[in-house]
Amino acid sequence: MSATSGYAISWLRDGFLEVLQTAFRLFPWPTEAGLRSVGRPDASSPVLLTGNYDLTVRRLIRALKGCDVWLVVAPSGGINVWCAAAGGHLTTHQVVTALKTSGVADKVDHRRVILPQLAATGVLGLDVFRRSRWRVRFGPVSMIDLPAYLAAEEKTDSMRRVQFSLSDRLQMAVMWAAPAAVLLGGISLWVEPAWAIPLTLLAIAMSIGVFTLYDRLGNARRWILMATSVALAVGITVVAGGDAAAIIAAVAAPVILTAALTFDYTGSTPLEGGSHFEERKWNIVLDKDRCEGVFRCWEVCPEACFEKLEDQRKVELQHDERCIRCGACVVQCPKDALFFEDSDGARIEPEVIRRFKLNLLGERKVDAG
Amino acid sequence: MRWLEGSPERYDAGMRLLTFGRIAKLHAAVAEAAVAAPDDRVLEIGCGTGAVTALLQGRGAHVTAIDQSPEMLEQAQRRPSGKSAAPVEWLEQTAAEIDRLPTAAYDSVVLCLCLSDMSSSERAFVLRESALRLAAGGRLVVADEVRAPRGWRRATQRLWRIPQACLGWLLVGSLSRPLPDLAGEIRNAGMHVTRARAWMLGSLQLVVAERRP
Repeated sequence: MSATSGYAISWLRDGFLEVLQTAFRLFPWPTEAGLRSVGRPDASSPVLLTGNYDLTVRRLIRALKGCDVWLVVAPSGGINVWCAAAGGHLTTHQVVTALKTSGVADKVDHRRVILPQLAATGVLGLDVFRRSRWRVRFGPVSMIDLPAYLAAEEKTDSMRRVQFSLSDRLQMAVMWAAPAAVLLGGISLWVEPAWAIPLTLLAIAMSIGVFTLYDRLGNARRWILMATSVALAVGITVVAGGDAAAIIAAVAAPVILTAALTFDYTGSTPLEGGSHFEERKWNIVLDKDRCEGVFRCWEVCPEACFEKLEDQRKVELQHDERCIRCGACVVQCPKDALFFEDSDGARIEPEVIRRFKLNLLGERKVDAG
Repeated sequence: MRWLEGSPERYDAGMRLLTFGRIAKLHAAVAEAAVAAPDDRVLEIGCGTGAVTALLQGRGAHVTAIDQSPEMLEQAQRRPSGKSAAPVEWLEQTAAEIDRLPTAAYDSVVLCLCLSDMSSSERAFVLRESALRLAAGGRLVVADEVRAPRGWRRATQRLWRIPQACLGWLLVGSLSRPLPDLAGEIRNAGMHVTRARAWMLGSLQLVVAERRP
């Protein structure tokens, strides 16, 4: 096989996987954990760590083009970094395991590892150091910023904040549209083949609508989405001369799709925390007396809720309305100055959060006792 | 099987279902191979809900049991043990941290259904370090999902993997993979395989090995 045809096959394979894994990213896509070299790294090159989600690893290697780094892929259950860290699949344990068993310690003459900022909700940096002697720094939220971060060795404010760009929104829409279309299209082919194409298109349109407009619709958004989609589906069905059964399907399908697409909206977006789950009642609280201005909360908060008060060596929780309850600040604070509290004054202490999580995609195991 | 770890209270029932009840026989065989005499010192890596730990204890062993999941350890500690049984030393840590435990200190090291959750580099590290923890004449006892022998047994295993993978993903979104060459990996860690036994069309294997002199 010539080099050109080998490159073409590799390009086609990557393209196919990119489409497949983007469309079905609700499923885990594990890749082998272990050590990769990107470019021509040497003993002083930076060490980055990520989870073993195949889509992330391939995109990360592309984003690092032109950089010379060691990449440690930690076992995260084949799940992306934020979901894995929040759900207990990418924790201190997995990071320590990867650093100790991947062989990276034999490749470099330093012990500094850069983790994605969004891993901060599950990985306790101080504990990683205690157990492996590797110092953890949390890099930028987005892998696109890595080359600039590596060159400057510091994070800008924009590198710290999670974005939900149009591209991110469309990817989330595709993630829900693909399985919804397969399911609805499949059922239609079995019940009434003529409905397959309209229902597949409805699933795609509603997914795009949810992830581009939903957060801008206010509190009644679920009902607005349901009413609009039912009205449109019924209207088109009537105009197209559909019978009574088709009209019933035109009502039922949008109702089911609305329920499915908005059920775990929180888990698919960085826009809000808690959704309709129990953790919604918990709010982040800062104990200013305990705060000693370490600023780890400021460094890892993906919504920039904190402001530094440099002269007082304190932080201020200036934008708690932005908090999405990811718990990263609680997990990382070495002074235990942050915790969750509900309106009745019940608290969830930092140690409980560190061990069992309480965040937008965690195991939702709440034990305030 | 990491994918059942997300729900420790369902782990034992889930494993019974997935192995068609063979899991009890596997656990008994592991305990029998691991404890040659009462008062043996046993290191159990990935103890999960403590099913094997209880059997080891029942045979009079002094067990050090490690697991990275606090929920699993909680479940394991709730399991009743005999009045005369020696207390278990429970450690919340990963398998990759066994290098902090003393060398040549155990009569056997047990790895039951945990290697298949690890990457190849992690398995190599854990097997190598396990060998170093064994005292002279000590035994490594490993039981895990393995790739079934070629032919109809391999085909049956592959067919069974489809519902198993779906169930795993639905529960906690994670999967384990059958090991391609368990005995070979144990030999590569400097151990001498003395015994091997299989269940479920060759897809569950027990391997006993000793450290090469």
